[in-house]
Order: sequence, then structure tokens, then C-alpha cells
Amino acid sequence: MEYAVFAVAAIIVLAGAFGVVVSRNPVHAALSLVATLFGVAVLFVAQEAHFLAAVQVIVYAGAIVVLFLFVIMLLGVDRADDLDTEPLIGQRPAAVLAGLALGGALVAVVVTSTVTGAPRSGAEDSAGADNVTQIGRLLFTEHLFAFEATSVLLVIAVVGAVVLARRRRIEEIDREEPVTDLGRDDGSAGDADEPVEEHA
Amino acid sequence: MGQYLPILMLLVLAVVFAALSFFASRLLAPRRPTAAKSAPYECGIVPSREPPERFPVRFYLIAMIFIVFDIEIIFLYPYAVIHRELGGFGLVEMAVFVVAVFAAFVYLIANGALDWGPVKHLRRVDPRVSTSRTAATTVRRVGLEGREPETGEAA
Amino acid sequence: MILGADPLLTGPIDLTAVAIVAFKTLLVFVFLLVATMLMIWFERKVHGDMTNRIGPNQAGPFGVLQSVADGIKVFFKEDLIPDRSDRFVFKLAPYLSVVPAFVTFAVVPIGGVFGDGERGVVSMFGRDTRLQLADPPIGILLVLAMSSIAVYGVMLAGWSSGSKYPLLGSVRASAQMVSYEAALGLSVVAVVLVSGTLTTSGIVASQHVWNWNIWATGAVPFIIFVIAATAELNRPPFDLVEAEQELVGGFHTEYSSVRFALFYLAEFMNTVTMSAIIVTLFLGGPNGPALIGPDWVWGPIWFFAKLLVFLFMFVWFRATLPRFRYDQLMDLGWKALIPLALGWLLLLVAVRVADDEDWNVFVVMAAALAVMAAAYGLLVLAFRAARRVHEVEAAI
Repeated sequence: MEYAVFAVAAIIVLAGAFGVVVSRNPVHAALSLVATLFGVAVLFVAQEAHFLAAVQVIVYAGAIVVLFLFVIMLLGVDRADDLDTEPLIGQRPAAVLAGLALGGALVAVVVTSTVTGAPRSGAEDSAGADNVTQIGRLLFTEHLFAFEATSVLLVIAVVGAVVLARRRRIEEIDREEPVTDLGRDDGSAGDADEPVEEHA
Repeated sequence: MGQYLPILMLLVLAVVFAALSFFASRLLAPRRPTAAKSAPYECGIVPSREPPERFPVRFYLIAMIFIVFDIEIIFLYPYAVIHRELGGFGLVEMAVFVVAVFAAFVYLIANGALDWGPVKHLRRVDPRVSTSRTAATTVRRVGLEGREPETGEAA
Repeated sequence: MILGADPLLTGPIDLTAVAIVAFKTLLVFVFLLVATMLMIWFERKVHGDMTNRIGPNQAGPFGVLQSVADGIKVFFKEDLIPDRSDRFVFKLAPYLSVVPAFVTFAVVPIGGVFGDGERGVVSMFGRDTRLQLADPPIGILLVLAMSSIAVYGVMLAGWSSGSKYPLLGSVRASAQMVSYEAALGLSVVAVVLVSGTLTTSGIVASQHVWNWNIWATGAVPFIIFVIAATAELNRPPFDLVEAEQELVGGFHTEYSSVRFALFYLAEFMNTVTMSAIIVTLFLGGPNGPALIGPDWVWGPIWFFAKLLVFLFMFVWFRATLPRFRYDQLMDLGWKALIPLALGWLLLLVAVRVADDEDWNVFVVMAAALAVMAAAYGLLVLAFRAARRVHEVEAAI
């Protein structure tokens, strides 16, 4: 039973990963990524890591790939790009090298335990507590610093997103001479800098 | 893991249901596609413009901010389950966490990242136009009847 | 833990268990289809009454079979796939809409006697099991996961159509669903806080008889949840996705025949499921006083009675409330619901922890309110700053 679940999930994960690499259409690649993430969630369930499985679906499939799709839609890159030209010089050899290095690291992690520490079963703290309770106990006591550092990371992410999205505007505002509000609310839903709505 | 067996069954049943519906439709429905039928819907007009290629960056910002809040909310769940065990210590650590995220939220709002409102019409001040002239003063110039006694001195 | 797992499926699973699960799955499947059909009829009938019309009255008594007639009709309609569409994604999108709609209902407890030493299980073919399809340890998170998957159905349907109105509708819809998911998640945290568990059976058990979460969480999360759920369902007054005046039919403009029917089905099934989730989270699910006869009969009766109230509420919303403008929708979600939900949650935590630690509740309340006031002041300042930026930007 365990092996059957693992086999099916592994096939989903690998097929999805293969799809991400092979798809010429970025939306298809993003969908393959969803399949991979879903397969990983199934693997988590098989390991009795229920909370992680839920997080995997909610955060990765539900938020991060949605962001990817938004970007794909935003930039209108839905037509297959010309694959013969390299956007960055030397990108492909570098990708091969990085792939080999990552593969080596993966093998090293699997065969040795110098980096991760000795493998241990998760059953040691399971006395009468469910999965979420255990995660909570560890996260909010032993790994408190990492938890609080996450909040700082989230703040940085927000600031970065806003700065990237709106930097040009702010500079223009600083250069602009003062204006006075003489107008009124025009009540239309469309935004002035929203070209999409204007032509509809 | 057994707890997920019914969910899997329902999932499979739902997929089979949808697939069978398509199959039935394929058997029963007519198939006579024409160029006009399979053109994009444009209220009966021949489509002349490609669908929009680019969208306002606000949509991207919303998705980005959603990730941040989603992660924050996910952290709140284990805390909500064991908040009794953690007591006052837990309250303080959660408060620190929420304050950081709230600061990010205030930054977002202050920068107008969440503003979708209709843009106000703004004009530069024209020095020839007196700012004291409003709709009310303009209207009052027309006709003398019905005017309030105290505005009589304007005539 | 006594609660938080279906006793049928703990330990090795034999053939009898699988048979019972299959039976329950089929039951839930049929129930969902029938309930959705009836909901479509109910909505048309009630909405008709509210707008002084008759509504469907031809097929069957009171037109009950109208949805069946429509369903059969749809199979005989031509199924078009537009030229410009991405065929694979175009065909995939209805599945991504329908499957989450079905799966979410799996965690809703329909019946069972809770409290007084009862564990909410019933005996079926000599085995103990719950009157809910599945009871995974993550319970309510499955609902959130499914609602985040449901975004894909809408998003990809619009994108793959290769047409402008569906694309505009789907971008709007996905931004809307994503925005309100945050508020939805935050109001559920309040329920988890009070009930102390993520499993739906545990949440229901903690609300035994009258200790409903709507009181225990102080009603604010309930209101936020109902608003966010309405937006998540894309139902009026949040149905900007298919604002006919602007977007023709929204994301499913290019869909016809069975493909369209599946989106329609998913929409109404989600309405039924979301009402069931509201009942489970805030109104005690099947909890209620047993009047006459055996106790276990009253669980489903109370559950369906409460469910009907919310189904009626959704129809009522549609009949009375005018549609939001997009900026109003976003402002409500981000600037009102999320800060309110977060603030209320912290207040709830502070009061509960103060209660446990024997702190003076009034001092804690005063401190919490002071913090809230400071936060509110900051937000107001931020709104002013944003207004200034917005105005100056508009002038450029």
C-alpha cells in the first residue's frame, strides 16, 4: 500500500517536472508545476505529515503558482518563445553545470548524513499529540528564532514587490510641481493607467 | 493515510462524472462548426483586435501580497491549536510576528499598492481662474428672483 | 486523541471498510448532485418571488424538475471549441472547477451525536463510522486548499478561451478570489482558536448543543467569513466576474454545452458546500437539541435546517444587493476585512490567554484596545498617505 502510493505520487511528481522543462507554452509549464507540487503533497501525506501537505497545496499550488500565472498573463508571454536564441550568453552551459552540481549534492545528502544529521523517525514526540500540535510545539519553542525571522523575510518581500512595481512613479512624483485638487470623483471603475479597460 | 481514502474516491468519482458528461455530449450533440461559430465572441462583430497582452501591475502586486498573507495565516493555524500550552510567552511571540506583518501591511497601504479607486480629476491651477469661484457663485448670477436677502449686495 | 479520525479508517483497512467508504462516497455524490439541482431551482423560484415573477413552474410540481430538464437539454447542444483557444487547457478548466466543488464537501459532518461521552459516531454494517465522508487531521485546511485550487478553473478557463472578455473576467476573478481567501483564512483561525483543533468533527464536537462558535468567537469572524465566502463564490453582490454589462458572460463566455453546464454546476455546488461549511464552523453543524425519537435523527435535521437558512441568505443577497464596483470590492477585502479579522483574532487570543494565566482581564482588554487604537491610527495615516500618492499620480 505504502509502495503503491509512493509509486503513483513519484510518477506524478516526475511527469510534472518533466512537463515543466519540456512544455513550450509557459502556462502548460506552470500547470505541470502544479501537478508536481500536488504529487509532493501526496508524498507528505504518505509520511503522515498532514499539515505540511496542506501547506504545500495552499501556499505553493494556491498562491505561488497563481503568482507565476499572473506574471505569465501580465507579460503576455503565452506564445512559445524562440528557443534557439539564448537570452543570456552562456546560459545553457551554466545550467548544465548547476544541474550536475545539484544532482551531486542530492546524491551526497542521500548517501551520507553529514549535512542533515542522522535520519530519525518522527515518532519520538507523538505521545497523544497530532501532527499540527507537534509542529506547533517545535516551531514556537525550539525554532522560535526561525519563525520570527520569517516575519522579517515577509516584510522584505512586501517592500521589494512594492519598490519594484512602483519605483518609476515615485521618482516622477518627486520631480512634479505641486498641484491642487479642483476636480471631483468621476465614479468610473476604470483606472487611468489601466489601458485594458479603455479599449474594451 | 487511510483517512484520505474517501477523499480520493470522491475525487475519482467527480472526474469520472465530468468525463462521462463530455462523452455523452460527444455522442448526443451535433457537431457542425463554422468559422463564424468558432471565432471569439465579440457581440456579433468580426473580432478586429487581439485580446489584451498586458495587465496593470496591480494584479501582480495583489498576487504577491497574497503569498505573504497566506504564509502568515498558515503560521497562525498551529499557534491557534496550541495557544493554551504556550500561554503568555506564545502571546508575546505571536504579537511580535503580527506586528511585523502589520508594518508591511501599513507600508503597502501608504504606498497606494492596494488602491484601485477611480482616479480623481486633477488640473493644475490656472492663474486666470479665481479659486473662489464655485458652482454656487456662478449659478447665483442668473436672475434676481428667488435670491436670499443677504446676497442682495452682490447685484 | 478520541476526536479527529474516523474510527472506521484507523488501523488496517479491510474489504468491509472499503465497501462502507464506497457506499458513503456514492451517497455524498448523489446528495451533492441532487442538492445542487434543487438549489438551482430554489434560487430561481425564490428570486422570482422576490422580484414579483413566477419562476420555473412547468417541469414537475412547482417546476422542481426544471434543472433536470435543463441538464438533459444541455447534452444535446453543440459543444464549441473556439479557434483561438488553447485546446488542452480549455478542456482541462471545467475539471479544475468541478472536482474541488465535489471534494470540499467530504469534510462536512452531516450528523452524529456529540457530547455526553458520545463521539459522534454511528454504527454502519457493524462498524463505527462518522456521518461525514472523511475526517482527515487537517480537516478545515482541506477546504482552504480546495478553494485555492478552484481559482485555477476560473483563471485557466478565461485565459485558454483566447478571447478578450473571458480573459478580463478571469483576471478580475482570480484577483478577487485570492484577495478574499486571506480574509477567509483569518476568520477560520478564530474558529480553530476556540475549538482547539483543525478537524471538522472536533470543531463540531466543541460546539455541543448551544456552545456555537458564532457566540464563542464573538460574531465578528462569522460576519467576515460570510462576506468573504460570498466573494469567494463570486456570487452577488461580488459577481464582477460575470458582470454582464461589462464582460458579457465573464470567464465562461466561450464555453457552451456540457462544458458550460459543469461551470454552472460547480458554482451552485460551491454555494451549497460553502453554506455547509459556514454551518459547520460557526453554527454547530448537526448540533441541536434532540426533541422526540432517537437522538441520531436530529443531527441531520438540524444540519439541513441551518443549511437552508444560508442558502436562502445567498439568494436574498442576490435579489437585494447591487453589485460592487471593482475598487470597492478590493478596498473592502484588503482595507476593511483583513485588518479587522487580524485585530479581532489578537483580541481573542489575548483574552483567552489572560483567562488561562489569571491575568486581570480588564487590564489586558485595555492594553489590547490601546494597541488596536494605535493600529487603527496608523492605518488611517496610511490611507491619507495613499490618497496623496494616488492624487499626485493621477495628475502625472
